[in-house]
Amino acid sequence: MSVQSTTHSNSSPGHAQASASVTRSESARSPRLIAIGGGKGGVGKTFVAANLAVALARLGRRVVAVDADLDGANLHTCLGLPSPEISLADFVAGRTMEPEKLLMQTREANLQVIAGTHANLDTPQPGQSQRVELLRGLRRLAADYVLIDLGAGSQRAVLDYFLVADDGLLVIRPEPTSVENAYSFLRAAFYRRLQLAARGYGVREIVSEAMDQRNERGIRTPYDLMREIEAADPVEGRRFMEAMRAFRPRIIVNEARTESDVKLGFSVASVCEKFFGFRADYLGYVNYQKEARDSVRARRALVEYREASEAAIYLKRIARKLADSSEAKTLSS
Amino acid sequence: MRGLEELDHYEILELSRDASFQEIDEAYRILRETYAEGSLALYSLFSEGDAVVMRERMEEAYRVLSDLTRRRGYDESQRDAKERPPAFVQHVEVESEHRHKESLPLGSSTGRDAEVEEPAAGEWDGAALRRARIQSGLELEEIAEITKVGIRTLRQIEGDAFEDLPATVYVRGFVMTYARTIGLDPVRVVASYLRRFEESRSDQGRGRFLGRR
Repeated sequence: MSVQSTTHSNSSPGHAQASASVTRSESARSPRLIAIGGGKGGVGKTFVAANLAVALARLGRRVVAVDADLDGANLHTCLGLPSPEISLADFVAGRTMEPEKLLMQTREANLQVIAGTHANLDTPQPGQSQRVELLRGLRRLAADYVLIDLGAGSQRAVLDYFLVADDGLLVIRPEPTSVENAYSFLRAAFYRRLQLAARGYGVREIVSEAMDQRNERGIRTPYDLMREIEAADPVEGRRFMEAMRAFRPRIIVNEARTESDVKLGFSVASVCEKFFGFRADYLGYVNYQKEARDSVRARRALVEYREASEAAIYLKRIARKLADSSEAKTLSS
Repeated sequence: MRGLEELDHYEILELSRDASFQEIDEAYRILRETYAEGSLALYSLFSEGDAVVMRERMEEAYRVLSDLTRRRGYDESQRDAKERPPAFVQHVEVESEHRHKESLPLGSSTGRDAEVEEPAAGEWDGAALRRARIQSGLELEEIAEITKVGIRTLRQIEGDAFEDLPATVYVRGFVMTYARTIGLDPVRVVASYLRRFEESRSDQGRGRFLGRR
């Protein structure tokens, strides 16, 4: 059914000389980075991240869950850990440069956490070069999956994690505010991606202008933007199409109560294709359940706190689907 | 990337050219809700004007693609325009060549009903479907090819393997396109098959939507 432990035994010859590194165990393949965002606060990003982390760990995968929400860090709480002694804040402050020194063991054998921040510490946001350094470090961890719980909002820092990750998961709650923020998040991520892909200065300018919604060129939709870019530079236009094809967020609907809530994932995927011109996958939904709240209060992941509850079953299915699809990708690459 | 007005019927419904009727029905149902007035998924992104255009395009696409004759005509007109035959037309042609039968393989139940024996008490279970299918001279492989429903699923349908089949919404589509393909009245077959399917499922209760997509 699944490809349990195949990733462990797949060591590539290119890494033979890297065996001196203590951070790498027998596995030479770098972990798959999965970013979990959603634009809006309170839609359940951390809940989903914590549960997917535990579920993947229980599928026998080595998992590291990273709390990149430095302003509202509480992933460690969801996983039952006390206020951390060491956290990402130490990395940002330059006290350590190695992410593996930040790892905290959870109750789950296969799950470790890098906490976001610890008490009485005014945490500065990492700069661009620190983010690059951190991502590099995360890719060196001896794990199968690194789940990054992103903060709310669409700041550049958040977007970059989302774009650099192998999978970008978008958590939506079926309500207008969440849908609106999800779209502004996607819009921002999409433009950011184009901006990073733009080589020519003129084209970069056009993208920057388009990001300002009241732009003077009358660029209203990504489609208008493409037109504008193609007119300015046909070669760039084609490169942009490529960049767009690689952008493929995966949607999770959290707290679904009705059938139309469940269908929202399909609808958002369709709107992404029609409006933005990129494909989005509907990964699955988690139904609304009181036990979910209880599990957060108990500071435990629902998938172990009430593993037979419906919401837990849906979360586990999402985890399996995620594992199956990414491991299929890994094996075919 | 193209605007709504430049997309063809398949692109509007987000389907591949060889989409089965079941896939067309399903896509249309989801899109109709997605682009309905006041739809949550459109919030803050689509203006009402854009949504109206999309609704009109969608209705037209469905009107054409859900009807075999219109769909063929449309595919042909597109083929003339592009010189490349869409996969759907190829299937139909290849299929009808090697079957040496006068009947249409897809979407048409005319002229076939008389040949197929009604099951006792009008109950269409897996075994009755299998008998009708054999009578129609079609192999499972051929049905899979035409309908794009996996052969395993077709076997599960014929074997009444209810616990292995996906959610009702999918089974409805599968059985409908299966029935249509072997020349049965899809509405009657689906009603009969699903009644038994649902009964067996009612005690399971749990939505099986995830994991199946």
